[in-house]
Amino acid sequence: MDRFFPQVVFSIFGVEVRDTVVSTWIMMGVILLLAILIRRRRPTLLEMLLDFLEDLIGDLLGGYRIERYLPFLGSLAIFVAFANIFSILPTIPLPGGAMLPIVAPTRDLNTPIALAVVVFFSVHYYGMLQQGVLGYLKNLASPVFLLPLEIIGQISRTVSLAVRLFGNVLSTELIVVVVFMLIPLFVPLPVIGLNLFTGLLQAYIFTALAAVYISTGLEEPEEDQRAIGITEPEPAAAMLEPRSQTGDRHSRERRP
Amino acid sequence: MAEMDPGTLITLVTIVGSTLGIVLGALTPAIVEGRAVLKALEGMTRQPEAAGDLRTTLLISMALLESTAIYVLLVILVLIFANPVIDRFFPGG
Repeated sequence: MDRFFPQVVFSIFGVEVRDTVVSTWIMMGVILLLAILIRRRRPTLLEMLLDFLEDLIGDLLGGYRIERYLPFLGSLAIFVAFANIFSILPTIPLPGGAMLPIVAPTRDLNTPIALAVVVFFSVHYYGMLQQGVLGYLKNLASPVFLLPLEIIGQISRTVSLAVRLFGNVLSTELIVVVVFMLIPLFVPLPVIGLNLFTGLLQAYIFTALAAVYISTGLEEPEEDQRAIGITEPEPAAAMLEPRSQTGDRHSRERRP
Repeated sequence: MAEMDPGTLITLVTIVGSTLGIVLGALTPAIVEGRAVLKALEGMTRQPEAAGDLRTTLLISMALLESTAIYVLLVILVLIFANPVIDRFFPGG
């Protein structure tokens, strides 16, 4: 059971390198190789993946130019999805007789925290790109007395983003380990399937939440505001009938 | 029961507390998530054209609700595998 938690493989200048970091390096190589192979052999697969990611992000960032956010959010989704399901690979025997266990990189709390910190800074970066540095800061502190609450909210959602991914991956792998200790033959297979499903679902949720956080940092799109200006003469009708308001929103989203 | 080793006592309290904690921490999010799914299904059957929007919102809100259960699990894992109280009273034990 002690081997379940991240092990230190070697240390460089006093910095301990754990097996999750080594697994991350191997994972990066695997992703690169797969990308090159698929691009050479089956380019349509890559297009399908791109369409899927565009749909996923377009649902959440509807109305914005998603080409700006697609590279970041897409690579985040691919990285987290690979990281969550990477523990199905077996242990690699090293030349020295030692064994290098391949583990899911997100099982170590440091990997999700790093990803969440990247998301935290990207929210502010994209917000400043969209509405300028001063405009973004002014929008952030629009009622000044609510600024502390805003800061607390930003920090707590970053922590919860990291801890959610870590806890989910750790708990499903813990279930696999416990079932494997009880019955080692065939019975863990469905549990491993559940592990894979949960990992992919968590990758989807991580990307979706990152997209939602980024969209909260952006201003309303230009055409959106113009549409509000057009429908301004009749705000009472929209207030009386909430369903007409949602219909209005849909028609505005469809506008090119 | 008259004299109990403090280490045994701490272990006993930890185990009982972890069990109670995981029961409550699994029960509450399960009930709340069930209600969320119920409402979303009602909405989907009433307005099938809004099913896509509802599904996305449902998944995200389920993830947010689920995270409370994950917090409970993390605290209990720390209590069981890396108990700080035992480390303080029995260094190296």
